[in-house]
Amino acid sequence: MGGSLMFGQKSVKKSPLQKLRDMNWIVVLVLVAIALTGTAMLYSVAGGNMDPWASRHITRFVAMFLLMVFIAMIDIRWWMRFAYPLYFIGIGMLLWVEFAGVTGMGGTRWLDLGVIRLQPSELIKVAVILAIARYFHSLTLFETKKLTSLIIPLMIVALPAVLVVRQPDLGTAILLSAGGIGVLFLAGARAWLFVVGFILSIASIPVAWNFMQNYQKERVLTFLNPERDPLGAGYQILQSKIALGSGGTWGKGFMEGTQSQLNFLPEMKTDFIFTVLAEEFGMVGGLGILTLFMIVIGYGVVVSLTCRSQFGRLLAAGLSLVVFLYVFINIAMVMGLLPVVGVPLPLVSYGGSAMMTVMIAYGLIFSVAIHRHINISRKDSFG
Amino acid sequence: MSLSPRLHIAESHKAKMEIARNRLMVAIFIFAAAFTLLGLRMLDLGLVQRVAEAGNNHSEHAAVMASRSDIVDRNGVVLATNLQTSSLFARPKRITEPRVAAARITAVLPELSEADVYTKLTSSKSFVWLKRKLTPREKWQVNALGIPGLDFQNEEERIYPQGAMASHVLGYVDIDGKGLSGIERFFNSRLSDPSFADEPLVLSMDVRVQHALGDELSKTMERFSAIGGAGVVLDIETGEVLAMASMPDFDPNHAGSASRDARFNRATAGVYELGSIFKTFTLAMALDSGVVELNDSYDARQPISIAGFKIKDDHPQNRILTLPEIFIYSSNIGAAKIAMDVGGEEQRNFLQRLGMLRPATIELGEVAWPLYPERWRDINTMTISYGHGIAISPLQLAVGSAAMVNGGELITATLIKDHDADYGDRRRIISESTSEQIRAMMRATVQIGTGKNANVPGYRVGGKTGTAEKSDVGGYREDALMSSFMGAFPMDAPRYLVLISVDEPKGIAETYNFSSAGWVAAPTVRNIVARIAPILGVEPSTEEDPHFQQAALLIDASKAN
Repeated sequence: MGGSLMFGQKSVKKSPLQKLRDMNWIVVLVLVAIALTGTAMLYSVAGGNMDPWASRHITRFVAMFLLMVFIAMIDIRWWMRFAYPLYFIGIGMLLWVEFAGVTGMGGTRWLDLGVIRLQPSELIKVAVILAIARYFHSLTLFETKKLTSLIIPLMIVALPAVLVVRQPDLGTAILLSAGGIGVLFLAGARAWLFVVGFILSIASIPVAWNFMQNYQKERVLTFLNPERDPLGAGYQILQSKIALGSGGTWGKGFMEGTQSQLNFLPEMKTDFIFTVLAEEFGMVGGLGILTLFMIVIGYGVVVSLTCRSQFGRLLAAGLSLVVFLYVFINIAMVMGLLPVVGVPLPLVSYGGSAMMTVMIAYGLIFSVAIHRHINISRKDSFG
Repeated sequence: MSLSPRLHIAESHKAKMEIARNRLMVAIFIFAAAFTLLGLRMLDLGLVQRVAEAGNNHSEHAAVMASRSDIVDRNGVVLATNLQTSSLFARPKRITEPRVAAARITAVLPELSEADVYTKLTSSKSFVWLKRKLTPREKWQVNALGIPGLDFQNEEERIYPQGAMASHVLGYVDIDGKGLSGIERFFNSRLSDPSFADEPLVLSMDVRVQHALGDELSKTMERFSAIGGAGVVLDIETGEVLAMASMPDFDPNHAGSASRDARFNRATAGVYELGSIFKTFTLAMALDSGVVELNDSYDARQPISIAGFKIKDDHPQNRILTLPEIFIYSSNIGAAKIAMDVGGEEQRNFLQRLGMLRPATIELGEVAWPLYPERWRDINTMTISYGHGIAISPLQLAVGSAAMVNGGELITATLIKDHDADYGDRRRIISESTSEQIRAMMRATVQIGTGKNANVPGYRVGGKTGTAEKSDVGGYREDALMSSFMGAFPMDAPRYLVLISVDEPKGIAETYNFSSAGWVAAPTVRNIVARIAPILGVEPSTEEDPHFQQAALLIDASKAN
């Protein structure tokens, strides 16, 4: 790499220790607070036991935390250079799942690597953002505004989305597409495209509906209410709304929730963990965790605003958008504002994959923050 | 690109940054709006919509379902609700390849026979049912087949989200949603009345208490390899039943596959000789009628032989016992003599007034007539004084005992929360002071008598053990017991009563092979009280009621055997 001259200011070269000091530790603390809240909730759901969930949750978090710090230390230009290879590795893993995946929770989503079971559909969310950010970084503004420039990024989004829908995993497909398209918008593709696209897709629903066969309609409807448990999604929603209401302002108190104490709902520990929180800590607890998420998401946006390189800007904003979508879709679903799709509440719900995605995302956001003063040329990551 | 590259880059860079900033501002606006929406919704759910409106949320969620109203517990926890399900039917004329279709349908619904489905699909009818009430997953799978000519009819299914919990109280419904037992049957017309569809039926039950009762009862059954058990938790002021359990129980979601034994409600439909808990009635009756006083004593040294039957004590003290001693050491001889002093006619009238000679009053169809002798001879008076020769349901015993403890008034048991003030009758059975004497003796039983294993530090439990030998053809079986315990707390101002009956417990090493009430039922009640007292908001205290001193002075604990 003889291109150090192209970096702009030389002073941005930092030692690992300096980088560590440059990490925003307040935001790190907020992330830890969110994960600890999740641990406490899992402890409560298990009837006051660290086993089987809370202990594994916190162990995973510690491992992911180290991974996050490691990612943050790596120069942003390396991530830019690896953007496309990582994307193709992700696609390869998704294809592998098609043939060698382990079926769990009613869909083929897992990849058994012997040591850990990986959910490639989670990792691809980060890879897509990386790839699109990389793509737009190399374009001039003029090129960005050309309609033909949208073909490749749309393909970058569509390919994994189709593979994920086939698994079937609607939640991930939505996050993936919305996240990817969001980056197109942030990159500066013409605004009217999004307005028209939005209106067209809304308008086309009733038209398409009329052309559909009866069984296809049913298929769509059941798709929106996936077969998560034998009692059906409606039951989950009903229960969680009752729990949210019964929590009142201050909640019933830690370990006092009827739902968690009586332990009747199998999904409580995963997608519906927010219900437990809201029941035990009430409206105040619910608003509290929402505030914590607002802080970390807001931080990502601020990083994006203060970053010099287009790649870093788009990466930080795009990843914040993904985290935002996780939080919004999960909580809105639990509160009955959205249909039930399988989206966990990151760092709080039990399960490693969403935690991994979010921690990798924050690793990258911190990396962008630490290296925000670096100018990167349009052509190549290291000039 | 006509501009020099460097200049272009700089310009482009600036413009790109400008655009990115603007776009980010839009994103920030959307984020903020979304979070505001979530926050507002949370305020809405937490402040505006209270638990009582849970039923309304439900009907708003799926308007089609709300034809049978929900059943909820006293805190609004859903015990029975409805779920929309789908039933699969076919229009044979539209099926193009019946053989292929039949094979594919049975591949996802393996419980159907392929030949059968094929026959249906090729029939000349225009409409055939293939399967009723598919799970959402099955429905999804059938849809995924994409066979034209198959369609679904929406139906409603009754769901009991708490599973087997309180199954005997709730009962169950048939495939058309008609109540077949329990509350579902008793209130069938109320539950199926469309004008009440949005208004859940609120029971007096509390799932937390019910869970503790059912859990402890089944643990005890397992521990002592018992064949069955029953339990009741009663509010002795209002008559509200907070929990009622019968074991073995069943899952009302699959009532059809449960055995008759499991569906049988032992708490109300089973009648049993419940043993020495009846001594509470005997002593209360004797004290209240003025025939005896608390410091009277009876000779309990010799068994009574009458009509070829021998009455002896299970915990023989072999001395002259005061009334409190007869109670706390559960002397059959003493109780029999007291009953004889009061007289058979009096005893019968007393039990009649206490409701022991007719079925329990409760909002359930499953209530049984008690069994008692038609001709009330001396031998009957004697055995009934300690709970043999009369068989009643555990609920009846709980309600009768409540009157002994609560100041002397007979209340009417109910499964419905917050009745109108004029619900049921309230009748004085014994005086306030007699009730206090009974309370003192019940407390002493748990402190130093047969019920020691029921003590919970701080919650001042009082109670009475009841060990009955089960009757068989031609006599009683010493090896088959009905072990019961009736406990109330907190004893200085009693509010709750817990009754547990365990059917045929087998002694284990830890209890020195005993399976009597003090070893089996008393510790079960202790565990239940320890779990529910904090839930019910009973304040722990180490103070004892000073009024209990009088009874305590009449007990010579040093001579206890």
